Amino acid sequence: MSTITELLTELFLMPLIAFMVGLAMVLMLRKIGARLQRRVGPPLLQPIFDIVKLYGKDTQVSHGLIHDIGLVMAVGGYVAAEIFLPVPGMDGIADKGGIITLSYVMMVPSLGLALGVGQCANPNGSIGISRALTAMLAYDIPFIIVVFGVAAHYQSTSLVGMIEYQQAHQWGIFEMPLLAAAGLFALQGMMGKQPFEIYVAPAEIATGPMVEMSGKYMGGLFVMQTFQLYTAGVLYTSLFLGGGSNWFEFLLKIFVVVAIPMSVAFVFPRYRTEDMVRIMWKWPVMAALIGIAFVL
Amino acid sequence: MSVLDDLLLFTALASVAIIVVRRFASVSKLSVIVYALATVLLVKMSALGYGGEPIYSSFTLNVLGQNLYWRFDSLSWFFALITVVIALFTSVFMSGAWAEKYCQEHSTEAYGLLQAALVLNVLSMLVLLASGDLLSLFIGWELVSWASFMMMFLNQDKVARKAAIKYIVYAMAAAMSILMAIAMTYSMTGSLDYVQIMQAVAHLSNTQIALLVTLYGVGFGIKMGVIPFHLWQAAAYAETPGPGAVFMGAISARMGLYALIVIVVQIFSLTRVAAIEIPYTFLNMQNILAWVGALTTIIPTYIALKQNDARYLLAWHGVGQGGYMLLGVMIADSIGTAGGIMHVFNYATYQAALFMAVTAVMFRTGTSNFSKLGGLVTQMPLTFMVMVVSIIGLAGIPPMNGFVSKWLVYRALLLDGEPLLFVAAVIGTLGTILSVYKLVHNTFLGQLRLEHQDVKEAPLSMLLPMLGLVLIIFGTGVMPGVVLDWVAAAQNAVGIAPITHNLGGIELAQGGLDMIWVTGVMFYGFAVGAIVFYFLGGKSKHIHQFDNYAGGHFLTSKVRYHYSNHFYAGLMHLIGGWYKDFFKKLEQALVSLVSFLSQLSENFYRSAQPAVLVAAVAFIALWFIMSSFSMPADTGTVAPITQGIQGGLPK
Repeated sequence: MSTITELLTELFLMPLIAFMVGLAMVLMLRKIGARLQRRVGPPLLQPIFDIVKLYGKDTQVSHGLIHDIGLVMAVGGYVAAEIFLPVPGMDGIADKGGIITLSYVMMVPSLGLALGVGQCANPNGSIGISRALTAMLAYDIPFIIVVFGVAAHYQSTSLVGMIEYQQAHQWGIFEMPLLAAAGLFALQGMMGKQPFEIYVAPAEIATGPMVEMSGKYMGGLFVMQTFQLYTAGVLYTSLFLGGGSNWFEFLLKIFVVVAIPMSVAFVFPRYRTEDMVRIMWKWPVMAALIGIAFVL
Repeated sequence: MSVLDDLLLFTALASVAIIVVRRFASVSKLSVIVYALATVLLVKMSALGYGGEPIYSSFTLNVLGQNLYWRFDSLSWFFALITVVIALFTSVFMSGAWAEKYCQEHSTEAYGLLQAALVLNVLSMLVLLASGDLLSLFIGWELVSWASFMMMFLNQDKVARKAAIKYIVYAMAAAMSILMAIAMTYSMTGSLDYVQIMQAVAHLSNTQIALLVTLYGVGFGIKMGVIPFHLWQAAAYAETPGPGAVFMGAISARMGLYALIVIVVQIFSLTRVAAIEIPYTFLNMQNILAWVGALTTIIPTYIALKQNDARYLLAWHGVGQGGYMLLGVMIADSIGTAGGIMHVFNYATYQAALFMAVTAVMFRTGTSNFSKLGGLVTQMPLTFMVMVVSIIGLAGIPPMNGFVSKWLVYRALLLDGEPLLFVAAVIGTLGTILSVYKLVHNTFLGQLRLEHQDVKEAPLSMLLPMLGLVLIIFGTGVMPGVVLDWVAAAQNAVGIAPITHNLGGIELAQGGLDMIWVTGVMFYGFAVGAIVFYFLGGKSKHIHQFDNYAGGHFLTSKVRYHYSNHFYAGLMHLIGGWYKDFFKKLEQALVSLVSFLSQLSENFYRSAQPAVLVAAVAFIALWFIMSSFSMPADTGTVAPITQGIQGGLPK
């Protein structure tokens, strides 16, 4: 049965590719940051060394079963999300869910992380989660308006259908520039990049979700971040940049998409949580609603 | 004798039996048997769930030339099934250890009354669901109102009593509104029978329909707790004794939705309602109802976010979730209404499980106050698991059943091109996620209090129904087709095109949903996550819950550091000012107005100063006489004078 082998390949390869591409994105993030600060930046394999180092640490403190399961949910939720994201040549399962399902599957890792941190019983960790969930409330409202606009424009919730439409007609970014702009804004928050990174900010590490994460727990969060960058890039590419007809074009697009927020990030300080909510509910929401008015 | 006769007669006899034996210990077992048998009778009617013909009761009444009768159609059966199954789970939940403790703390009599209240609620709801005309609907409606009141009034706490009184005042207002609407319907159409009214509706004017929809809407809306009538529900349900809150929270308020579907969707039909334009706006009557639903999802959800007591938080979410149902039904296409009706089932399962989990925590710790809980996950892991599964359902995250019904509502709004309603629904969902995390974090995660060190897992009699509900929540999430079959039959019964579906969800050309695949992929993801976590990297060391430090200090368990107060401080800094208590103030203003008027009239009536009374009566009498006598004189005398003055003015 060729379909079953195809399916198994997809199930295996899609998360693996996502992980490798995500690692490359982390490297790119660090390189961009370094060049902006006139440093050389880390060597090519640094992200892999980091993960190996974190997983191999001696001190690995678990605060209980939910702490562990939280990490499993955080990584596993993204593994599932990657399978629902169509990539060139592999979109067998993407149609079973569509964009609404994907948006909600992407909340599972956040929930898992929140549960895991909660069991650590560190008040600083809980404060971090309270901030992270508030941030989610902030960026998800413009994001979901953008999703609505895009789905209404293509008259479909299927990502595969959207990509087909764009490849036959025109990229979404040209048909819906306002929604694309709002989407990019929301993406900045979704990836947790400056100025919207207070809940994971290195300077705030003592009051953030990572406070009780050591060894492979931190490593799990690292893996989660690679998936997160990849997911953001692929999602935006599928909605606005016509997906990819081949891998070269596809990878080029997703790296460009992720590079933009990263370049923007390094020239900003960070907002307080409530200021993030305010700015997210004002400009991108306004742009997205006007964009929808044009689409409908 | 039809099966419906059996069911109603059986429940009525069972009510009598439970009331008679309420002081004996056997009442617990009896009630479980009663609901189990009622479930069996409903299963015997299960043809209704797959599009069978309505079943009529052979008992009818003739009042003033109107034929009162009772029947079950697919919609009634769907609601009845939820009611009876939730009652079954509730009765198991309250039968064992909970009953012993309640009897010790209160009395055997109090426990018996709770059982009696539960069975009377079930009976009255079945009577309401079976109603075949407006008069029997009204009878059922009143029975439900008073049965609910009885349940609420069992808690002798001052707050609870006040909430119960508030409820009955609201319920009376609702009943008056409905009675007025029924009287008007009768005078307009000359009948109380659904079928005859349905035929007569075509001849009614838009104004008449609008008036009727408003009156019925207010009446049924009060029971559902929609904006602006949402204030009574949370306190009333939260303060009801544990299992009572489980039952009431899960299904009681949905009777309003049932009646609304019957009257507005089935009899008036939404196309007719949509044809009524509201002057000077772009909206029609259907949009207004949809917006009421959307606002009901947002406002109570964000009120829930601020609660500091688990029961109140859940009860406020109950109000908010009602908004999704109303919104879904009011989208009026087959996907949207399916979402709305299916949400009744999904909501009942997870809300019951959540209230049970909170009741179990209260059973072990004696409180549901967030400031006095925390860290219970190590003590009550299964209850924690129940709560996590249920909050995933409540928040509408896959793979639990709450996601499916919300997905249908979102999908319908997308197809319909309703961006603002869609955004409103999503804002409600996001607020729910924040608020349920607060619930689970403040109860089960964080620091364990020293006095809760010896707390044990909930007893088996309470765990079993909770775990059963968890199975339903997950099972119907993976295979929503099971419930969608019943929903499609119910849609058919109220004259909406039934949803085309399969076991895993729905198939649509422009993006469908297949929950079997979604769940499969998610669990595959978790498996990969588990392999990555457990098989790669070093071994982790488990440390005790009390072994903790923060800010460079070791924290002993004597220091209270559980982060539960003012949980979303950053968010509240921004939106805190938006809570204006507008509706509360409106309610207070109304109350003050009524009490002022009643006091005025009372004072006047009882006034010990006859002179004032005589003067007032004389004044009114004089005014009355003058006005009646001067009427004809007006034209004769006043007019010439003015004319004279005008004419006499120098130019």
